[in-house]
Amino acid sequence: MIDLAHLIEQANDLAPLPASTVRLAELASNPECHLNDVVELIAFDQALTAKLLRAANSAAYAQAAPVANVQEAVSRMGTAHVLSLAVAAGARPLLQARVPAYGLDEGRLWRHSVAAAVAAETASRLCPVVVPPETFTAALLHDIGKLMMGRFLTAEILGYIRRAQEVDHLSQLEAETLLLNVHHGELGGLIAQHWKLPPRVVLGITHHHHPEQGLDVICDLTYLANQVAKHIEAGLDGQPCVLSFDPGVAERLGMTVQTLENFYPIAATRYAQVSRRYDVV
Amino acid sequence: MTTADFDYVREYVRVQAAIVLEPGKEYLVESRLHTLARHEKFASPDELVAQLRAKPQSDLHRKVVDAMTTNETSFFRDIHPFEALKKGLLPEIIKRNAESRQLNFWCGAASTGQESYSVMMTLAEHFPELLSWNFKYIATELCQDAMARAKAGRYSQLEVNRGLPATLLVKYFARQGAEWEFREDLRKRVDFREMNLIKEWVWMPPLDIVFLRNVLIYFDIETKKTILGKVRKLLRPGGYLVLGGAETTLNLDDGFERVVFDKTACYRVKQSSGKANQ
Repeated sequence: MIDLAHLIEQANDLAPLPASTVRLAELASNPECHLNDVVELIAFDQALTAKLLRAANSAAYAQAAPVANVQEAVSRMGTAHVLSLAVAAGARPLLQARVPAYGLDEGRLWRHSVAAAVAAETASRLCPVVVPPETFTAALLHDIGKLMMGRFLTAEILGYIRRAQEVDHLSQLEAETLLLNVHHGELGGLIAQHWKLPPRVVLGITHHHHPEQGLDVICDLTYLANQVAKHIEAGLDGQPCVLSFDPGVAERLGMTVQTLENFYPIAATRYAQVSRRYDVV
Repeated sequence: MTTADFDYVREYVRVQAAIVLEPGKEYLVESRLHTLARHEKFASPDELVAQLRAKPQSDLHRKVVDAMTTNETSFFRDIHPFEALKKGLLPEIIKRNAESRQLNFWCGAASTGQESYSVMMTLAEHFPELLSWNFKYIATELCQDAMARAKAGRYSQLEVNRGLPATLLVKYFARQGAEWEFREDLRKRVDFREMNLIKEWVWMPPLDIVFLRNVLIYFDIETKKTILGKVRKLLRPGGYLVLGGAETTLNLDDGFERVVFDKTACYRVKQSSGKANQ
């Protein structure tokens, strides 16, 4: 089937995130990060600087005077949002790829990742728990393992996975675990670890399907972000979306059916507002 | 895979390990044998099965049983049983055995050892005095490869990511290249033994705690009953059996009573059954 050692070796060889992105992810994970650190790091990256200035001068801020430098952009948009855009810009080239083994055309994984990241941002406003600053990055990168797993899922293995789903009614994740002894969340966690992303980002990615195993609120929040992202995408595709939501997660996050129902449209609206900033086509 | 080959493998696995493979599980047998065939230099699973038929009772047969054994495990799997151990079972048993200073623990189907080492970390963290008692920890496993890995106590990053908090990782494991090795002094307290649950059992002392989690689900009802009956006879009065979340003694062995510790159901031999090991 899959040579696990080889898979892990390949995961470690996946093109790394740019060093500046990893550093930005670290800063984004630190609630006490200094504004000057962010400005300095971004100012060295011309493409990122241009992108931020475009975003800061976009229609959303049309009534304000144009900004001309990173410092002003950060002041206008807020450190957290600037960091979100910066981390996303670094991850985009990877997540833009098509992953046929998971039925993902070019751009679909990116769209899902951005929707999850937006849901994580929304959670920081709507969830009654304290949302760790690492949540955005964990949500953005939660499916990074699919990139690597997808390379190993041959037609034969996909056939076994499909039969496991049909015969034993297993989810994709359960079938991966049964047949390959690893699932895409765990593989994504390994990749994030290899990239030296903050430990809580690794936890959120690893346990985004079974957050109860992670013993950290970031796992619940990444699960929430993933579920909400599916909901947003279904809306964009005009598909009905009946999502199941683990009641244990809702309980740990202090959310009720009502707050969850309110959450979805707010996150979808937010996604519609900001997705262009993340270059979602 | 032909129906005849599937039937051959599933019958062999049933007889040797009581693992039940219902029709429809061809995909599982084929995928597991696919890996084994490649490892053993056969061109295909079909060729491997042909070899099994040609040479009955070969080492290849053992490897097939090993391949069909599900070794899914993780550190602190499901967490709640370890909370029950920490907050309920161990405090109660330590109090009861304070005079004899003796405690015997058995972990059946120990797989690659993560569950046993999770117990050892729980002891070292919360009940270090137990390590100076006459404390026996026996871990048994059918699969030879899994047991060899358990004895070595070395785990990949992927495996330590499964359930092991970072604080315990740095405290109880040492980095050895790409792997993490469990602390030797605690590792040596675990007595790993090869044992097939459906065949003759190795000798075991009267037991205070039995962890037999996520094992019975693979067996048919008669095998479950036989195993539970044997466990009941080995348990000391007041001793506990801990099963997997989807397992129970209900309708299988009425010699047990259910005792709930927070979110974990444990099973104790009923006083009236009179069958507990005295």
